[in-house]
Amino acid sequence: MTNVCVRIAGANGDGVESSGGLLVKIAARNGLKVFGYRGYQSIIRGGHVWYQIRIGDEKLYGHGNKVDILIALNQDGIKNQKNHLNKGAFVIYDNTKVNVDLLKGLDVKLIGIPLLDIAVTTSGDPIMRNTVAVGAVIKLLGISMEAFEQVITSMFGRKGEKTVKDNIVAASKGFNFEGVVSSYKLIGDGKQRYSMDGNTALSISAYASGCKFYAAYPMTPASGILHWFAAHDHKGVLFKQSEDEIAAINMAIGASYAGVRAMCGTSGGGFSLMTEALGYAGMIETPLVVVESQRTGPSTGLPTKTEQADLLFVMHASQGEYPRIVVAPRDIDECFTITTQAFNLADKYQCPVIILMDLFISEHIETIEGFDASSVKIERGKITMTNTGGGRFKRYEYSEDGVSSRSIPGTKGTEFIAPTDEHDEYGDLISDAFSGLDEYVEMRVKMHEKRMRKMDMMLKNEEYFVPKIENPSAKIFLVTFGSTTEAVREAVVLLNKKGFEFGVISFNYLLPLDKEKTTAILQGKKLIDVECNYTAQLAQVIMMNTGIDIKNKILKYDGEAITGEEIAEKVEKLYNSM
Amino acid sequence: MAENITNQNITQGAKTKQVYTSTNKPIWCAGCGDYSVFASINKALTELGIDKSSVAIVSGIGCSSAMPHSFSTYGVHSLHGRLLPTATGIKLANSSLTVIGTGGDGDGYGIGGGHLMHTARRNLDMTYIIMDNETYGLTTGQTSPTALLGHKTKSTPFGVIEMPVNPMALAISAGATYVARGFSGDVAHLSQLIKGGIEHKGFALIDIFSPCVTFNHDNTYDWFRPRIYKLDSVGHDPSNLNAAMEKAFEDVQTKYEKIPIGLFYKTSRPTYEDLELSFKNGPLVKQEMPTKEQIQSILEENL
Ligand SMILES: Cc1ncc(C[n+]2csc(CCOP(=O)(O)OP(=O)(O)O)c2C)c(N)n1
Ligand code: SF4
Repeated sequence: MTNVCVRIAGANGDGVESSGGLLVKIAARNGLKVFGYRGYQSIIRGGHVWYQIRIGDEKLYGHGNKVDILIALNQDGIKNQKNHLNKGAFVIYDNTKVNVDLLKGLDVKLIGIPLLDIAVTTSGDPIMRNTVAVGAVIKLLGISMEAFEQVITSMFGRKGEKTVKDNIVAASKGFNFEGVVSSYKLIGDGKQRYSMDGNTALSISAYASGCKFYAAYPMTPASGILHWFAAHDHKGVLFKQSEDEIAAINMAIGASYAGVRAMCGTSGGGFSLMTEALGYAGMIETPLVVVESQRTGPSTGLPTKTEQADLLFVMHASQGEYPRIVVAPRDIDECFTITTQAFNLADKYQCPVIILMDLFISEHIETIEGFDASSVKIERGKITMTNTGGGRFKRYEYSEDGVSSRSIPGTKGTEFIAPTDEHDEYGDLISDAFSGLDEYVEMRVKMHEKRMRKMDMMLKNEEYFVPKIENPSAKIFLVTFGSTTEAVREAVVLLNKKGFEFGVISFNYLLPLDKEKTTAILQGKKLIDVECNYTAQLAQVIMMNTGIDIKNKILKYDGEAITGEEIAEKVEKLYNSM
Repeated sequence: MAENITNQNITQGAKTKQVYTSTNKPIWCAGCGDYSVFASINKALTELGIDKSSVAIVSGIGCSSAMPHSFSTYGVHSLHGRLLPTATGIKLANSSLTVIGTGGDGDGYGIGGGHLMHTARRNLDMTYIIMDNETYGLTTGQTSPTALLGHKTKSTPFGVIEMPVNPMALAISAGATYVARGFSGDVAHLSQLIKGGIEHKGFALIDIFSPCVTFNHDNTYDWFRPRIYKLDSVGHDPSNLNAAMEKAFEDVQTKYEKIPIGLFYKTSRPTYEDLELSFKNGPLVKQEMPTKEQIQSILEENL
């Protein structure tokens, strides 16, 4: 098994992202696996940005800890990345612009190339220097120049022959530069793979699941979903940028009431504004999917960094009690399946479903193993097209499973008013003239129980609401949820290679939880909790549901994505004291 | 259970005689202006003969926001201040519906004020009716964004010291394409304004002086009657933007001696529905789910 970690570092505006994207595509189309993650700040020009791309011939669980090949596009690229280099790492830099004295004494191989000069003489376009560097990298990786040519032709073909040609010439000058030799044997399995980030996977899945309406107000790291829907607005979905997040969720509720599958998305700050309307969707029993992609810290926090500290918030947001579901996809492939499930559950149980993402899963790139378009099964739940009962339509009829048939505006004979006040089976209010009268006190209880019964029903009817166990015969289990799962899986691979016997217990469904089954899975096992927040929120959820108190914890809240190596190291330390 | 609800029986505004009202007893105090607004909406709908299953009446929270329950159409009694985004979502999902918003001045100019500007400039084809009683009725009489200077309420016992918002000027400058003001004391006039708003293609805002007989003892029917006059009677041209703006400030400038009612401004510009690309194939709710081939081609973008 081979994998190589490439990091491109420069300033905002240097084209770090596009050259990284190019490398990702070249690898993904050549049967290799890719895992990429960007580091950036909340400014538009300048700053220090990097794109780390790990390329391997086997499934990758993270973007890697140490860098094997660094492209330093400016001086900061040397200064800031110095401590991230692996032993023997290659450093590609512009030897007419960048000084590498800082690296003296380190075990690295310097490859100085006059990147800018080559770019300008080849095409007149200075940004082409990145292409020269990418050419050098693919040579080091052992990938062929033809692979580059194929990708560039399909990516830039639209821009005309000259652009394609200039890119190929620039890349081959890097590829053939003196001293750049093929140093790794990365051999693909011949399968072309799609590569995308979590926001894209979620968006495509929503589209495939029949979501026709997405409303949002821009906020990192959820904006990728907004950009996806905006770009596909004319393809049978409508994207509405709203005046604020309050409007976004209320629009999505309105659209869903009118019969289309609807979603809204934001980060924690915007979600705070959405909270009142979450209960609104719960009260009028209108299906709704809400994406919350977490970033670091309270308030505006670190807008371009990651964390998992909103779990308890989304589980409890909005006043009163109402049925809801919280899910957290564990990897990009799961962004597909879980989004489809979210839409089906929202429709079947007529309640809000929150997809809890974070910057790491929203924005990191992976090659995906495939998404079968024909596997998407759309279940819309109880929708009635006619008033079979005669008389007034009982939209909120007390039903055994708590779910009452809903009708879609435009349908004759099933008109009803959906009320955010407490109401009777018809949707008439019991909050005003009647509240407090005996009959209506009873009615409130019955209606509340009808809605809440949906939580019991979903636990009974669906298999999702339990943690998932990997390597069940292990001696110790790392317990985690959502996006941290991949790093935990990698840690377990690393640890077990050393002779340990670790397993993974991960949560992708967090609310509701099947208490009995969850307890049975966790009970009597040695557990270490791993999550990205200070207060161990998953451990609190486990405690609440099972009474099991996980004492050993690995918690991270510095904003950087957790890696497998980092977890493995901490686990080993903990292990000795356990 | 329907995988696809696009084949549903969505009606197309057939003109038939029908009853738009429900049997629910309104919650309003005897004498409340909102009764007349209810009667006027009912009259407008009846005259227009729109199929009631294709009407959605959306409200916020407040006495006035109880309005949808008096009708037997579709509707949502949403959150305080959120009727416009809810109505927007409904209209965007099914542009063939007739969407009518009904709420109070606190709901629309206070807590929901931010949405008003943006809904107006979007120019969706919907009608927004504000029952402006210059007070907060449901919460028992606090000051409101349209309360006049000096007005004493529970929350302003020494009198209001903030300028009231100017609904007509606000709506015109935000981009509403039908801007009118009515009075609960004149149902015949009011129902024509509402009818005109529903017929108008674009965003219509109708602000209605709808006295709260319980909590506002300053701005009563008797206070309004001698002050108001109809814009028609002075030959106001609603297509004239400058004249409309001038009329919008007449009440303030005459220290409320002269308060115009009627159609202030009406213009024609493409609606959001006209310009939104995804409506090329009809209302969203009637569009088919994506085919496997369409999904596959979208996946290919990521190769
Ligand atoms: C978020 C929120 N804040 C406050 C309230 C309490 N509240 C209910 S109605 C209302 C104001 C009502 O005034 P208006 O909108 O003018 O309607 P009216 O009752 O006068 O018709 C308020 C403040 C609420 N329901 N929700
Ligand atoms: S309190 Fe005022 S606004 Fe409310 S119903 Fe009574 S009169 Fe009407």
